[in-house]
Amino acid sequence: MSLRFGILGLLADQPLHGYQIKQVFAEMLGGTWDLNIGSVYQVLQRLERDGLVEPVGERGARGRQSYRATRAGVSALAEWLEESESEPQLLREEVYIKLLLLARHADGKVDQLLDRQRGVYLQRLRDLADQERVARERGREELALLFKGGQLHTEADLKWLDVCAEEIRRRK
Amino acid sequence: MAGLVELREVSRVYDGGAHTVALDAVTLEIERGEFTAVMGPSGSGKSTLLNLVAGLDRPTSGRVIVDGQELTRASETELARYRRSRVGFVFQFFNLLSNLTVLENVLVPAELAGVKPAEAKQRALALLSELEIEGHVKAFPANLSGGQRQRVAIARALVNRPALVLADEPTGALDSHAGDQVMEMLDELNSRGQTILLVTHDPKLATRHGRRVVTLRDGRVVDDTHLAAKRATRPADLIKLRAEEA
Repeated sequence: MSLRFGILGLLADQPLHGYQIKQVFAEMLGGTWDLNIGSVYQVLQRLERDGLVEPVGERGARGRQSYRATRAGVSALAEWLEESESEPQLLREEVYIKLLLLARHADGKVDQLLDRQRGVYLQRLRDLADQERVARERGREELALLFKGGQLHTEADLKWLDVCAEEIRRRK
Repeated sequence: MAGLVELREVSRVYDGGAHTVALDAVTLEIERGEFTAVMGPSGSGKSTLLNLVAGLDRPTSGRVIVDGQELTRASETELARYRRSRVGFVFQFFNLLSNLTVLENVLVPAELAGVKPAEAKQRALALLSELEIEGHVKAFPANLSGGQRQRVAIARALVNRPALVLADEPTGALDSHAGDQVMEMLDELNSRGQTILLVTHDPKLATRHGRRVVTLRDGRVVDDTHLAAKRATRPADLIKLRAEEA
């Protein structure tokens, strides 16, 4: 998800100034993205330069300026919302790199790496289920779905550990 | 103090044609009051482990001790008594007797264990009411929903106040809502001190309800994770939604 369209999406709903954007954004994502206020201003600047947002009213206290989406901004947002996602899958976890490196050595302790990792994923599965429950209790169903997605990914990670273990055992 | 359940170097080998090692020198200790989940794919040895702890099977080698009783040395009569009074079973398919009412089903193990009828009935009714199924005491299993049947099975498992409850895929035949209710009841029992051993292939179930998850593969314990119940986790430590910031 790009911050550019995230912010544009908020400004299509209502005019907001930089600090409000940070707050509303954090609230929407339930704390899953630590947003830097500097990046918010940077994105606002670019959106304004591209004619997708415009300032509303006078500068308020501490020089705060509210922005809203322009007509061009609203149609750019609509176009983005309709696009399918075809980015490559993010496999950023270091365990993948560790696995690749360990596999290069004959005495690499790959199975121990996998077993340690299993404990981490099991704990994550539990914590994500807790977060999902909390989100539902607060009436944040769409946020609950985000945590649900996290659980399904973690289950896939656990399955992947099984596949690795199976293959390593067969090679022995 | 020793744990409630102790397995010492327990192996179980089946020699029916193919030589199959179902459990391979497993050592495991379960403390009183723990909610432990044993997880693994089919063929990992989890059912074998459950059967050994249940006193339904004997190991090829090693010792199994539950609540101070060494099952590996017990006679058949002693094992039968152990199964009737020290462990409670909750199965995937409930295993209720279809020609008996709800109340009668719950009373069966108490009668077998020689509990006085009045006392047994009192316990059964108290349990059925606690499990919110007291309105159906005279019903037959066929007239109950899956979730209700499983609650009857839980009452039956508890009627002899067992030291240990063994639950084998207890939600396997239930829809997710009824399954959640059944698991919440097991959680509640555990919070009051009941030791529970859950066997499941499902990591969601294991991690949501177990405090400890033991993973078996090919008859061996490959992981033993004690889960933190409530970590002061920030969502951002679990999920990061990120991409280019500009």
